[in-house]
Amino acid sequence: MWTGALTPWGGRGMRWSARWFVIGILAACDTFSGQQPPDGTEDTEASRSGYPVQLTDAAGTRHTFEEAPRRIVSLVPSATEALLAMAEADNLVGRTDYDRMPEIEGLPSVGGGLQPNLEILVSLDLDLVIRFAGESDLATAERLTDLAIPHFAVQPDGIEDVLTIIRDLGLIIGKEDAAAELLGEIGNALEGVSRRVAGLPEPRVAYLLGGDPPWVAGSGTYIDELISAAGGDNVFDDLGPLYASVSVEALLDRGLDLILVSEGLTPPTALGHLPSAELPPSVEIPGPRLGQAATDIARLLHPGAFEDGPG
Amino acid sequence: MKPFAWAGLLALAVVLVFMLSLRLGSVDLTTAQVFAALRGQGDVNVRQIVIELRAPRAAMAILVGGGLSLSGAVFQALLRNPLAEPYILGISGGAATGAVLALALGLTASLTWALPAAALAGALLAILLVLGVASSADHRVDVRVLLLAGVVVGAFFTAFMSFVLSISDARTVRSAVLWMMGSLASSDWSTVWMVTLYSLPAAIALMALARPLNLLAIGEETAGYLGTNVERVKRIAYVLASLLTAAGVAATGVIGFVGLIVPHGVRLSVGADYRVLLPLSFLAGAVFLTLADIVARTVLSPTEVPIGVVTAFVGVPLFLLLLRRSVGARSGSEIES
Repeated sequence: MWTGALTPWGGRGMRWSARWFVIGILAACDTFSGQQPPDGTEDTEASRSGYPVQLTDAAGTRHTFEEAPRRIVSLVPSATEALLAMAEADNLVGRTDYDRMPEIEGLPSVGGGLQPNLEILVSLDLDLVIRFAGESDLATAERLTDLAIPHFAVQPDGIEDVLTIIRDLGLIIGKEDAAAELLGEIGNALEGVSRRVAGLPEPRVAYLLGGDPPWVAGSGTYIDELISAAGGDNVFDDLGPLYASVSVEALLDRGLDLILVSEGLTPPTALGHLPSAELPPSVEIPGPRLGQAATDIARLLHPGAFEDGPG
Repeated sequence: MKPFAWAGLLALAVVLVFMLSLRLGSVDLTTAQVFAALRGQGDVNVRQIVIELRAPRAAMAILVGGGLSLSGAVFQALLRNPLAEPYILGISGGAATGAVLALALGLTASLTWALPAAALAGALLAILLVLGVASSADHRVDVRVLLLAGVVVGAFFTAFMSFVLSISDARTVRSAVLWMMGSLASSDWSTVWMVTLYSLPAAIALMALARPLNLLAIGEETAGYLGTNVERVKRIAYVLASLLTAAGVAATGVIGFVGLIVPHGVRLSVGADYRVLLPLSFLAGAVFLTLADIVARTVLSPTEVPIGVVTAFVGVPLFLLLLRRSVGARSGSEIES
């Protein structure tokens, strides 16, 4: 168990490159040994030999999977991408309105990821629904239980959460090897990025999600962690948890070197004199492309460090 | 048409829209499948859809639609104001504040009933506050003061709620917005029974107040001369109509327009006798909200349109049509009741 050593890494003590290296390796190890996700409260008796798989989901509910679920709908894009990356397209039988991945575009939609259409979920005869944990959508969890549709809660807030999702889903669908490979790739990519930007001065950046006054990514978000991994300093990492709305004055006051915005957004006019950049699409969904996302952000923050070729 | 004919027609319409509600939805079902499911036969998924999803939802639409419309009619009589509707006296603000506080404090994570309970508590608090302010030293309730107190208390709660939201995280804001738009989507049988137990007695008691409300509509003094205990009637009518609204808000969030336009529509069709108006408003409100929910569920399927959007889009033109006809047919004075 690696929890004890690494839990306090909200702090800046450990070097990022070392951190990601350890995460990647340990995450992969966990998968192989069937050990549990990061917060240490969970344990699984599953081993590589397979089922039954026992897991505790992000809502704190214990699940036992006797066999691999065959008919799955994921309401959470992070989980959908993870399942697709582990070649589970065949077992996905529905999608949400927001899923644009070509593999599942032809599937029937169940509406939004929050408050999905329950009728359609029932009619799809599902073995498993992957849903958002937390408070955004209490009724759905309750109704799914009433309707006897198994549901597994995930909460893709930070990078660690995403790695947990990949590992858990790998166990659930019986593809621990694919999950381990994916985790290894992500860990390597993050570690590679961190090594490239190690020792460089950290530009002060903020990530704007839009809104007026704008919302920014604060602590606990994967964006904040990606910025740190890419050798930047998120000036709003004192805010949060997660996202917060801040005044334009506060944005000016924090002394920004670069403003990162979602695709298609422009920063408020009062910030027009500051350099800004659109985040690449790889950052949109916290999923298997986290490594790519870190690389893309690092290229924006430290163009010089990537001159010698593709990262 | 005679009142009894209207009542029969509307009761029949309630049954019809209930059946229609079972038949229509995102998943295509045949009428035969629906009837089989009602007899407990056929595919288990179809039974789930009909009995556990569509039926409680239709039942909730009938209860909440009827309740909102009935309490709107009572508020219009009580406040002698055609603009009165169930939420005018701050109930929606109180309920929303309760709901948002429950979300922001994280109570809803472990207790699923925390949100409706908090919404109900907020609504009750608003009702008590308004009544307390409006009751003068000699325990008389001045309806003008009641109206002002209600609007102001409502505004305060709304401001407080906005404040809580502004310091909450994105998840709380999202849940709160979803809740405030109003939806019947999460209706299950246990909530339906709870709302029934709570609002049916209130509805029946309100209908029993029809005669004194008729007298009140003429004027408080006249009603007093004719032997009505005006203060008691006002107080009871206010509390019961508020409780009825609060039950609906707690279960389904804030659904607008039903309580405003349905009673007026009924009034324009059958006149302002509350003995007729109140029961017919309940039935018409039930039919209207059930129909609106069918539209909300099917028009953009699989996504649902917020039901408040449908009640406004369908209700407003319908109401304007009625208004236009009545202005043409007789004088517009009826609207003011």
